[in-house]
Amino acid sequence: MSTAAPAQARKRRLSQMELEEQLTGFLYILPATLLVAVFGLFPIGYAFYMSLRRWRVVDRGFVGLSNYQKALGDFLGAGIFVLGFVLLVVALVTWDRARGRREVDPIRRIGLPLVLAALGFLAISQGWERMYGEADRRFLNSLPVTFYYAMGSIPIQLAIALMLAYILFQKIRGQEFFRMIFFLPYVTPVIATALVFRFIFNPRPTSLANQILGVLGLEPKEWLFEPRPFLEVMFGLQLEGFWSGPSMALVSIIMFGIWTFVGYNTVIFLAGLGNIPRDVYEAAEIDGANPWQVFRHVIVPLLSPVTYYLALVGFIGTFKAFNHIYVMQEPSAQNTVITTSVSIFNTFYKASQFGYASAQAILLLIIILFLTYVQTRIFGERVFYG
Amino acid sequence: MAETARQLEGLAGVPRTGVRVRRPVGATLGHLLMYAILLVGTVIAVLPFYWMIAASLMTYGETALRQWWPEVPQWANYVEAWTEAKFSKYFMNSVVITAVTVSGQLLTSILAAYAFARIRFWGREVIFAVLLSTIMIPSMVTMIPNFLMIRGSIIPLPGGSWLNTLQGITVPYMASVFSIFLLRQFFAQIPWELWDAARMDGASHTRFLFQIVLPISKAPIFTVLIFAFIGAWNDFLWPLLVTTKDTWRPLMVGLWTFATEAGPETNLMMAGATITVIPILVVYFLTQKQYTEGIATSGLKG
Repeated sequence: MSTAAPAQARKRRLSQMELEEQLTGFLYILPATLLVAVFGLFPIGYAFYMSLRRWRVVDRGFVGLSNYQKALGDFLGAGIFVLGFVLLVVALVTWDRARGRREVDPIRRIGLPLVLAALGFLAISQGWERMYGEADRRFLNSLPVTFYYAMGSIPIQLAIALMLAYILFQKIRGQEFFRMIFFLPYVTPVIATALVFRFIFNPRPTSLANQILGVLGLEPKEWLFEPRPFLEVMFGLQLEGFWSGPSMALVSIIMFGIWTFVGYNTVIFLAGLGNIPRDVYEAAEIDGANPWQVFRHVIVPLLSPVTYYLALVGFIGTFKAFNHIYVMQEPSAQNTVITTSVSIFNTFYKASQFGYASAQAILLLIIILFLTYVQTRIFGERVFYG
Repeated sequence: MAETARQLEGLAGVPRTGVRVRRPVGATLGHLLMYAILLVGTVIAVLPFYWMIAASLMTYGETALRQWWPEVPQWANYVEAWTEAKFSKYFMNSVVITAVTVSGQLLTSILAAYAFARIRFWGREVIFAVLLSTIMIPSMVTMIPNFLMIRGSIIPLPGGSWLNTLQGITVPYMASVFSIFLLRQFFAQIPWELWDAARMDGASHTRFLFQIVLPISKAPIFTVLIFAFIGAWNDFLWPLLVTTKDTWRPLMVGLWTFATEAGPETNLMMAGATITVIPILVVYFLTQKQYTEGIATSGLKG
């Protein structure tokens, strides 16, 4: 950074060479910066501008917040809904801090976070009721779908990846080979693999998924075509509203997501394992810890920053996820597989509601900024660009 | 194949506690269990690829049945996909689009990364921070304005609308903050003595960059190149938006339109999917060490 000296004094002192230095610097960054400004920064402002207008293919003028009104239904409800999430984060932080301080007072340690969390859940459900009654629902419906998608895929894929990484880390023969194979689904073009999985999760009794069910002695299922909740289809569990869980179609897409991303997470976990100093677990082994104890009490805690990082990046990623869900959505699955990004795309591309789609996109941006904020400030140290 | 899969699942079903209880022989038993898990993982990871290739060689009737391998491999499926389903056209489009995007991205990224790492100019840190902040912006936000921009609806473009043109598909992707970031990390580590010596000899930044920095930066540039290649080849959303005709339609969009318009010819679609996947797999197998290491370092340390 330049010092804050007055511009005039600086200018006089600038020699020919320094001027050249400045100029070269600007010229070098010009192409990249210009492109990012035009295609990365300007669109954010322009999307916001569009979101305030009635814009269906052609611009029909300013309409204020009515696109947002359409997406959210009721602003007060939306405010309460967001407040609920803020309370949940605060509850989590309070609990974490109390644990860090080894707080003994049970009211402070458990009571306060519990009360905060309960209030948070209450606010979320109350806010949701208010919004859902008034909204156009396309956007709102996408939120629980995205949430199910994240909650269904991330914990499982992290657990599998951690296990695989831990095994690969045991100086096992063929480590490179297995790493290469597990990473394969992640690099392969997702359009191709998603099309393959469309056939694997086909309702036909001869599809691979149904053949596997057949081996287990179960009836064939509709998979990607099935809008009914997974729990109901598989176990006959009939729950109400949000608790009914993801649809069978969404679960099929979640399985595809896990298949794709396990390898990526494994590679990151492997790198994280490589960063743990060897003597830490050698010491534990000398103290007589068995492999499971080493894993549970040494590896898992030391890897927790990596786990947090992957979980939050994965969570943000589900809000951005588009390609495979778009390819695997079947009309008969209805809106049970439409995540936020797909909803925005459909509103823009199929329904040609440019203004309304922009409003949804801005809301998505706000969600992602909120999650990124939580990630950097609260779970912090290991940020992507830090 | 199916049989091995089932046997392996049986092995993996060995209870986890087995490792703990039989600690004395645990070393070998534990290894066996670990290999069993790895093999099950391998089968699950590879099975869809096997299925894709097998189905691409079947007759239409065979794909609908419970077949694991075609009676007679139908190589003609590939000929049909390549010629009649126009995959040859899409393939060439993808090659050109990828080549143009990657070279543009490399050029702008190398210059910018060098400047951000090694030239002092006014506002350097601020500009870099602003560029970095765009990494987390979801493409859904920029997509709609960019579409209007490329259509020529926001500012007039040379040649009118850029829909269905090469520049329309490639220009928005010719800068990559991610590549700049990765290269800057490396460029910043090059010892300053090298620059001082070059400067003594009267070299400019341009000469220093091209004659000294680039030759010693082959590894990071290669990593960035692979990332850019895979990104450009796999891109789907943007080309889907800006191509309405075959003229510049790349493989991903071609495969998708074939899947939605051509009806139930699974075998041809799988042949098309295989054609789409092969270049990526070749590049990946040749470069997988650099690629996975690039992912690991950029995803973790940053």
